[in-house]
Amino acid sequence: MTGRKQDSETGSFGSARPTTEIAASSPAAGDLVGLLTHEDVDRARDRWRVTRARWQGRGAQRFRPLRVLWLLVGPGVLVFLGENDAPSMLSYSATGARFGIGFFIPFVVLTFLIGLVVQEMTVRLGAVSHRGHAELIFDRFGKFWGFFSMGDLVIGNFLTLITEFIGIRAGLGFFGIRPVVAVGVGLVAVVGAITTGRYWTWERITLGLAIFNGLFIPAAILAHPDWPGVGHALLTWTPLPQGRAAEILLLILADIGATVTPWMIFFQQSAVVDKGMQPRDIRAGRFDTLLGATLAAIFAIAAILATAPLFHHGIDASQFQGAQFAEALAPWIGHVGAALFALGIFEAGIVAAIAISTSSAYAFGEVTGTGHSLNRPVRDAWPFYSTLLGSTCAAAALVLIPHAPLEFVVLTVNVIAVLAMPPALAFLILLVNDRDVMGEHVNGFWENAAGIVVTVLLVGVGIAFGVTTVFPKLLGG
Amino acid sequence: MKPREDFAELGAASPKPDLKDPRVVLSLLETDQVVAAKQQTRFGRRTLSPGIKILLWGLRVYVVVMFVLVVVSVIRATHSAP
Repeated sequence: MTGRKQDSETGSFGSARPTTEIAASSPAAGDLVGLLTHEDVDRARDRWRVTRARWQGRGAQRFRPLRVLWLLVGPGVLVFLGENDAPSMLSYSATGARFGIGFFIPFVVLTFLIGLVVQEMTVRLGAVSHRGHAELIFDRFGKFWGFFSMGDLVIGNFLTLITEFIGIRAGLGFFGIRPVVAVGVGLVAVVGAITTGRYWTWERITLGLAIFNGLFIPAAILAHPDWPGVGHALLTWTPLPQGRAAEILLLILADIGATVTPWMIFFQQSAVVDKGMQPRDIRAGRFDTLLGATLAAIFAIAAILATAPLFHHGIDASQFQGAQFAEALAPWIGHVGAALFALGIFEAGIVAAIAISTSSAYAFGEVTGTGHSLNRPVRDAWPFYSTLLGSTCAAAALVLIPHAPLEFVVLTVNVIAVLAMPPALAFLILLVNDRDVMGEHVNGFWENAAGIVVTVLLVGVGIAFGVTTVFPKLLGG
Repeated sequence: MKPREDFAELGAASPKPDLKDPRVVLSLLETDQVVAAKQQTRFGRRTLSPGIKILLWGLRVYVVVMFVLVVVSVIRATHSAP
């Protein structure tokens, strides 16, 4: 621990280094005894549960892994089901309605594999460094690059938050609920989740809500999908989408943006830190991330299958928003199926609004050095909670402005996410290869290869988008 | 220094740990997980090689150009909308 304490004369900070040293065995333990906070105590309680589950498990081998996983699952499932948000589910719905069952089914699986590669790195980074992503970027790259990175995050998060409230409004609109009431329900959900003052409780409440993303499964079953066709598509990537190349490219971009976005990196790393995960939990964190990616991929494919009847019946869904999809589907999947679809869009908006507003608040707290934990009471971390609620309320208010041109936000938010992703990935890969931060947990060859391939792929798709924008007739647009 | 496992299991051994006892709290957390310890340390700036600087600047220019193109496509879509 030499050099860890702040130098009182220079005001400089001690050097952090990757360590798994238990605080009680640290030379600074005596000093730390008097400095413990509410956040530390709550985190210690969470760690006690995990450690005890491992310790107790020695007498009950069969259930030990399940108990430990139950305690450690959370950030990975939340980040992927949070990213199955309102605009993402609408992108999948538009994909199903425009192209039916075919190329896009395995393509969506591929995008979740890409997401898995990216998010696994955030688990390691958070568990080893015990610091959020924004904090590490500012720390290792300085304010100049830090503010650029934060700019991308803030713009993307706020635009996405707006679309979540559009989804909430549209989902409940199907049932005849007035926009102001629907948006109010969304706000109450966000406030309700954070008033617990405990990360653990917040996480379990949000997980409980997130599992309703599965509403798209019964909606898909009611659409009576061609299951052999689904299997064939998964194996052969066919039939290929037919139509204008520019339109296909836009949907490809939107579907990638529905799976990999900058907020996911910032959120999962901060959540891993807030949950108190340690390097010994990395395997469980990987399972958590894999579980989240698998569930989200299944639910995404279910949304495509649910709207495939619109493709088969030649219905033009190009201008559809949330509730319009549900209304158009009613003749083909029944009122119950349409209602489930509308509820699914509502749920997707609620969970994402909770996760994305929390992601913004974490990043704000990390950059400003103010308290940034859901384990902190409001009086200790009011800037954190103010950011969370302020961004949510602003997005909710915008959605209620009559005739605001919000449809373009929905159309472009996933595209913006993809375009902002390469720099975020570059910082992530550089950090996770930084031995001063990661120690023995730095990326291996295959992890780097996968990360670089994903980055190059996203840059390539972005450049293709740029070319079609500048030369719209090039691809027959 | 006691081995890490011993400390971890010290806290875990208790069916209901007394978390008002700071020593129990410290036995359950890694040093960098304690808020006060984390606030006092930084990893510090890393040296950016010319290659990394070129990469970061290149990606920054890429993002700015792409954002401009998104605005262009939105304006174009606005004007072509019925």
